[in-house]
Amino acid sequence: MGIFKKIGDFLDERLGIRDILEQNLTKYLLPKNINVWYTLGAVLLALFAVQVASGILLLVYYNPNTDDAFHSIQRIMNDVPYGWLIRTIHAVGANVIILALLLHMLSVLFMGSYKRPRELTWMAGFLLFLLSLAMCLTGYLLPWSQLSFWATTVATNSSREIPLIGDVVVRFLRGGAMVGQPTLGRFFALHVMGIPLILGILVLVHLFLVRRLGISRPPFGPDWQPSEPSTTFHHEEHPGGIPFFPHYMTKDAAMIAFFLALTVYVVFFAPGLFFPPASFQPANPFETPVGIKPEWYFLWAYQTLKIFPSEFLGLAVQGLAVTLLLFLPFLDRSRERRPKHRPLFVAGYCVGIAVFIGLSIWGHFS
Amino acid sequence: METRRKFLTGILGALGAAIAGLTVYPVFKYLSPQATAGGKGRVTIPKNQVGVDQAHFFQFQGHPAVVLQKSPGVYIALSAVCTHLGCIVQWVPKKDEFLCPCHGGRYTIDGKVIAGPPPKPLPSIPVAMSGDNLLIG
Amino acid sequence: MTNHLTRSLFILAAVLCVQITGSGISRADTMEPVCIQCHSKQPGRLGAPVADWRTSVHAANGISCNNCHGGDPSDFAMAMSPDRGFLGAPKDTAIPAFCGRCHVGVEKDYLGSAHGRALGRGGPQCVTCHGNHAVQLATPDLINEKSCTRCHSFERARIIKAAMADTDRQISDLERSLAQLKTTGVVTDQMDGDLFSVRNQFHRLFHSVEVDKVRSQTAAFQADLKKIRDKVDAIHAEQQRRKTWGAVVIGLLIGCGILFMLLFHAYKAELPDNDS
Repeated sequence: MGIFKKIGDFLDERLGIRDILEQNLTKYLLPKNINVWYTLGAVLLALFAVQVASGILLLVYYNPNTDDAFHSIQRIMNDVPYGWLIRTIHAVGANVIILALLLHMLSVLFMGSYKRPRELTWMAGFLLFLLSLAMCLTGYLLPWSQLSFWATTVATNSSREIPLIGDVVVRFLRGGAMVGQPTLGRFFALHVMGIPLILGILVLVHLFLVRRLGISRPPFGPDWQPSEPSTTFHHEEHPGGIPFFPHYMTKDAAMIAFFLALTVYVVFFAPGLFFPPASFQPANPFETPVGIKPEWYFLWAYQTLKIFPSEFLGLAVQGLAVTLLLFLPFLDRSRERRPKHRPLFVAGYCVGIAVFIGLSIWGHFS
Repeated sequence: METRRKFLTGILGALGAAIAGLTVYPVFKYLSPQATAGGKGRVTIPKNQVGVDQAHFFQFQGHPAVVLQKSPGVYIALSAVCTHLGCIVQWVPKKDEFLCPCHGGRYTIDGKVIAGPPPKPLPSIPVAMSGDNLLIG
Repeated sequence: MTNHLTRSLFILAAVLCVQITGSGISRADTMEPVCIQCHSKQPGRLGAPVADWRTSVHAANGISCNNCHGGDPSDFAMAMSPDRGFLGAPKDTAIPAFCGRCHVGVEKDYLGSAHGRALGRGGPQCVTCHGNHAVQLATPDLINEKSCTRCHSFERARIIKAAMADTDRQISDLERSLAQLKTTGVVTDQMDGDLFSVRNQFHRLFHSVEVDKVRSQTAAFQADLKKIRDKVDAIHAEQQRRKTWGAVVIGLLIGCGILFMLLFHAYKAELPDNDS
């Protein structure tokens, strides 16, 4: 033990490290009635770490060139030891992240945690969600399979209906008239460098805001009352609460283990969920495979575009929905956070979830 | 309660170590260099590619090597990797010697060190004749 | 004479049609030959081959009208010109040579067989059993009582079919296994090629219609199939091994999760004011 104490002393003398740890671990108290939904942030951090690690490993053998991209993935899947494992974890992990992001946002919405003073935390989080979808979209193209090629063709094409500049936007996204090497080049750059950089910074901003403002107390229990609006900065304290370390961290760790178990389960026992046959055929720009569908988290958007009489209308509705959600804290300004006292919001919340699930199922079977 | 915690932490440590092992092993294998096909065995070179006093560079068991015709009908093959820091030696026909461009190491036509920092001669590789071909290795 | 006139009128109509719709050039650029545009609209004998062909193994593999009948698939006016190598429907006796341009080995075995020697004297040719435009992937089901008894008793045919049955079942099983492996991302190209070759060689063998020949060569074919089967089995075993390890990791992770939950509750119980 001596050596560790010495290193600790060395760092403490120079950086005051023990004080920082104490303030952020053992003396960082969380609300007493904190629930399991509050672990999703930690779960997402762990899942993002898995994506970064597996992504870097894939970069070792992946080749972002239309002539070889598909074959480099085939080599990873068939020739490189455990390449199949790392590739499948990366692909499945992306889906589990979207699932965790949706759950995280739904719980924050239900408990009204996005409300003043946490508007910025919500907006940073919502942008993280949009960036994660962009990661999924750009990553989808990289294997250069039939699925990649046509999913990207359809996805970029939907921007065509933007008035006036639609065609220019499509050309710009693709780097040319059709999906091809220029598209692969820019998607690759965005996927491995551009978006992760912004995403990483936004994660830090999000975490900083969470820590700076203090954890929001769940709006449950008999003694919860809406607080008076404060005109000055106020850190929400929870005297007599649960220490973050070691108490709540064990719960975080438990949930991380369960989410990783879910990921590993899909990787080993149901990889076909995310790998339809078209994902193992090389891209062929002259032959559209029949019945390709977007990934499950884009099905709602896909179906929205189909049910509106014009694609422009569909796009406008999607844009409106996303903008409304992004600015929700500024639109919903009441201090009340208890679901029981917000019947209108809870009704809208349930309808929203039902519409999302309904559109997705409809999109899947249409 | 404390013994209970210690007990739980102990098992967790063991499980964590198992998971860590099961994570590190595949990553280690994934990154380990793979045996390339044709890493062993002989190389066949047509005689007409190696004129008198000419050097022919080729890949031998994954490393650069060179074959020369010292005098008509007499061939010699050497590793072309300088024994100093691994640069590839050049053949200087006018002086009949090898020169390493990195730090000026010089070798005779047989691979012996004449000057410069190389600690050892260039390893030689056996050459056999087979009709119009040279069998090297 | 009437035939010639009909054809001229027809070509004229086709050319007009193309000029009116203005689609001639773009259609010629696509994969579909011009033949189909006209023939698909024609009634009866001249139109039926299009629908038949669309269901065929030829269509599935991109073998189109002109690949057998010649002619120019990109030019309405010259589509059926003998100058561009157009061949109409071959006479019965010319059919083996017609099909044999591609199915070389089968033609050879067929011509040496009792079937082939009876060509032109009531013996069967390719189309007798395989059909023409709607030709399907060949299977032993083509050897059936209804078909064979058009000319002779089914007895000999039954014996040959039985001799082929086991090997053919192995081929079909392997085809299914390889197709399944492909859906899991395994590259099966090499095995696909090997199996395709064995299958063709074996089906070719049937055309000699000699039981002894089929029996004597079956062992060699089965040895080739065994090699492919061994590779497939090795991949299956590997996939099974992976699943076992996957189950171990899932078990470890769930175990960790449960232990962490227990630890959480142990810590919580130690909090001074434990009322929630």
